[in-house]
Order: sequence, then C-alpha cells, then structure tokens
Amino acid sequence: MKSRKKLVFWCSLLGLILAMTMLSDLLATQPVNEMDLDSVYSPPGEGHLLGTDHLGRDVFSRLLQGGKVTLAVAVLSVALSFVIGVIYGGISGYVGGWTDSVMMRILEALISIPSLIFVLAFQAVMQGGMWGMTFIIGVTGWFTTARIVRSEFIRLKDADYVKMAKMFGTPVWRILTGHLLRNSLPPLFVVTIFNLAGAVFIEVSLSFLGIGIPPSIPSWGNMLYNAQNDLLIGAWWIGVFPGLLIFLTILSINFIGEALKNSGRRRFHA
Amino acid sequence: MLEAKGLSVKINGIPVVTNSSFFIPEGKITAMIGESGSGKSMTVAALLRMLPAGALASGEIRFMGTDLLKATNEEMAVLRKKEFFTIFQDALNSFNPSVKMDRQLYAFSAGRVGDDQESFRKKMKAILGKLSLSAEILNQYPFELSGGMLQRCMIACALYVKRALLIADEPTSALDKVVQKEFLKWLRLLNESGTTVLIITHDLDVVADVADEMIVMRKGEIVETGAVADVLARPTHEYTKRLLDSRF
Repeated sequence: MKSRKKLVFWCSLLGLILAMTMLSDLLATQPVNEMDLDSVYSPPGEGHLLGTDHLGRDVFSRLLQGGKVTLAVAVLSVALSFVIGVIYGGISGYVGGWTDSVMMRILEALISIPSLIFVLAFQAVMQGGMWGMTFIIGVTGWFTTARIVRSEFIRLKDADYVKMAKMFGTPVWRILTGHLLRNSLPPLFVVTIFNLAGAVFIEVSLSFLGIGIPPSIPSWGNMLYNAQNDLLIGAWWIGVFPGLLIFLTILSINFIGEALKNSGRRRFHA
Repeated sequence: MLEAKGLSVKINGIPVVTNSSFFIPEGKITAMIGESGSGKSMTVAALLRMLPAGALASGEIRFMGTDLLKATNEEMAVLRKKEFFTIFQDALNSFNPSVKMDRQLYAFSAGRVGDDQESFRKKMKAILGKLSLSAEILNQYPFELSGGMLQRCMIACALYVKRALLIADEPTSALDKVVQKEFLKWLRLLNESGTTVLIITHDLDVVADVADEMIVMRKGEIVETGAVADVLARPTHEYTKRLLDSRF
C-alpha cells in the first residue's frame, strides 16, 4: 500500500471510531447503566449485539459511551499538555540565556522521572473522576511538546523573517504566534498525535488498574478492568471488544503520526 | 546622511569591528565590500542596533542628527520603522513561509505607512508591474516563487515605502548572474527614486556595476574608502589590489 493510501485508511478507521463514540447517544441500543439481571453474561447475538456483562448491561452501548469518555479524556488532556508545553517551551526558547538553562534543567529533571509515578502521585491526592484524570494526564504529558517548541523557537528566532518582523516593530506576541508558533506547527502536530495515543494508553492503564475513571462512568479502561474475572468464566466478549477498540485506536493514531512524520521528513529532505 | 566615527564592535570581548569611520552620502549607492568575516554584517547590525547576544558596540553612528548607538529603544524602533528598509541575503528566508505574499507585502509596505488594503492592492500591483512581476504572486506562498522574484518583491516594498536609507546585506549572493544583473537594475531604480542605498557584498562585480562609493573592510577594519571609479582605477591598499587582481 502506498503511504498516502495507508494514511487515508488509518484516518478513515480512526474517523469511524470517533464518529461512533461521538454519536453514542444515538447509536446506543440501551441506557449504559441499565441492568437486566435476567440476562447476565448473554453472548453476542439477538437483543444485545455484543452481549451483556455480569450485571446484564449492554456491552455495545457501554463500549460506545466508554469510548466517548476515554477519547474525551485523551483529547482534552492532550489539549492541556499542548498549551502548557507551548508556553513553557516558548518562553525557554525565545528568551534563551539563563532562563532557558534553568527551565531546561527543570524539564530534564522532570523527564528523568517516569511519568506514571507523577500520574499515580496526582491520582492518590486528587482521587479524580473524568476531569481529574484529564487534568492529571494533561499536566504530566507536556514535556516532549515543550522540548520540541523550544528547539523550533531557537531555530526560527534567528530566521531573517523574524529579524525583519522585529525591525518593523512587530509586537512580540505577534512574532511568537504568527512567526514562531505558526511555523513550529508541523513537528508539533506530529508530537501531539503521538501524545494522543499515549493519553489513551494512560487512561486505559489507570482504569484497568482500578485507579482511573470511577466504575459508575464507563470507559474502555474500566470495562477491561471489570472483564478480568469474566474472562475466567468464558465471557470473552466483555473484554475482547473494548480491547480491540483500544488496540485499533492506538494503532491508527500511531500510524497516522508515523505517516505525517515521514511526509514531513521527505519534504524537509526534498 | 550617515556617518560612523570610531565604531568598534566586540562579541564576548573579542573585537570584530575595530575603530571604523566611514560616511554614507545622501542619494548615492555605497557598497561595503570585504571577505567573509571582515565585519561588514556586524557593522550593519550595529547601525541597525540589532547586534546578536553578547555583542557590544562603541563609538558613534550619526544618522540625521541622531547618534544611533545612544538612541533609546523607542527612538530606534521609530527610525527602523520610518527611515530604514533592509533586504537580507536569502530572500526565501526573509518571508514567513506559512503566510501568503499579499499579507506579508502588506505588512512590509502599506502596513508601515498606514494605507488600507484597497490602496495597497492598487499601488502594489502598479509597482509589481514596473518590476515585471505579475500580481498573481500576491496569492502565492514564498516557496512558490524564485529567489530573484522574492528579492524583487523586497524592492517593491522598498519602492512602496520610500525610506531614506535602504540597507541590503549580501542581496545578490543567492542569485545567478542574470538575475543578479536584473536585481541591480531595480536597485538603481530605487536609488533614482530618492533612496540612499548601502549594499554589503563580497562581489567586486556588483560594486563596479551599481555603486557610486565604496568602503573596503578587512579583519574588522576599514582599509580604503572613496568613489568606486577612483578606487578601482587607483587602489592604494594592498588588500584592495589583491581584490582587484582576483576579479579577473
């Protein structure tokens, strides 16, 4: 498959997953928390497309609603980390000198600590729900973004068009946004795509460990968490479908990021 | 127009321009020539007060009665905006790659004189036509245009704003000989419209083609100044003689 066709395929797959989760209210066949104790552990088939769980809740409806929660947490947290990373990296790269040195040493210290430790520490303090998770993933996921922004700002701030803008008295905020940030967007976009895959993974991991999204709100992660025991009694559908969607979502995001990275590299070397 | 007396520039204590004095007469094209590292660009950076971090300038640069080295940042900002126009070496690098030409040319020209979009389009199209450029370029991105076209766009902006002094730092070094000739023709046109030009170059052909006066620099010092015809006919410094010998 040509790289463009690959990109179209993975974008379409991700688009389909996003559309289905966003339209979950329309597509869901039953309320997500409605229990039907007469049909617990029903296998996929008539009445329940993807079967039911140990409380008789419809897996298909929970899968769609869970996807909405997981992806909302991922998108919002990545947006938060993007903003923090751009501000931190932007100040460090543009101001330079001692400010840059101090800010980079702090960043290196933060990067040297595994982010899961930060996440677990925050989670222990905040005992967060959906918004708490978003905040935690956002404030612990900006390190790479900051480094990219800093290196791009350092590279671009000496470009002639920035010198011209300074000479013509262009306000600093316009140089920062219109000249530096605007031209840093291609590599930033690629990093953000990978961060998105990482954010989905962190939400799923924490919820799978039982310290993420509370059980009352379905998410792909806590659906997997609940499915651990069900697998032992042969109710494979409760774990397989969320697992498959997590797999396909992260895979498609990573492939999209990889394709964009390669196309940027080709353009750079052209 | 502009006079430097005892200008010195040091970067982190290391001298790059030493005790240089020169004069740029009004209405003329003055060329500053020298090999790479001779201190030409640093001299220009000093007079624009746009020196890199760690660099320090001393001496005096007087422009229209103002000592540029002693002017406040606000005074310098006004001078850079209202009296100077600068053309850099790499035309492609002088334009923001992600913004269309019309917005950039507007910012470089009409935006500086307070014209609205309508009068900008009208005036700019006329100037572009004079420079043999199609108005189509206004809807293009910089990377869609050649280096020569982009340098002409710069000249178009300079013609639009008509500033007292144009500083062109190695404007022809990225151009082939044919495009270079064209560019120098437009530079002369700009000069004839009343703008004093200071051109920085290491190419003696450019000096001979376009300049009226020349300043020869070597290792941070000015070794010879004078009218181009005189210097080329009767060079007094050994370095200028070597430069002339290397021309053929």
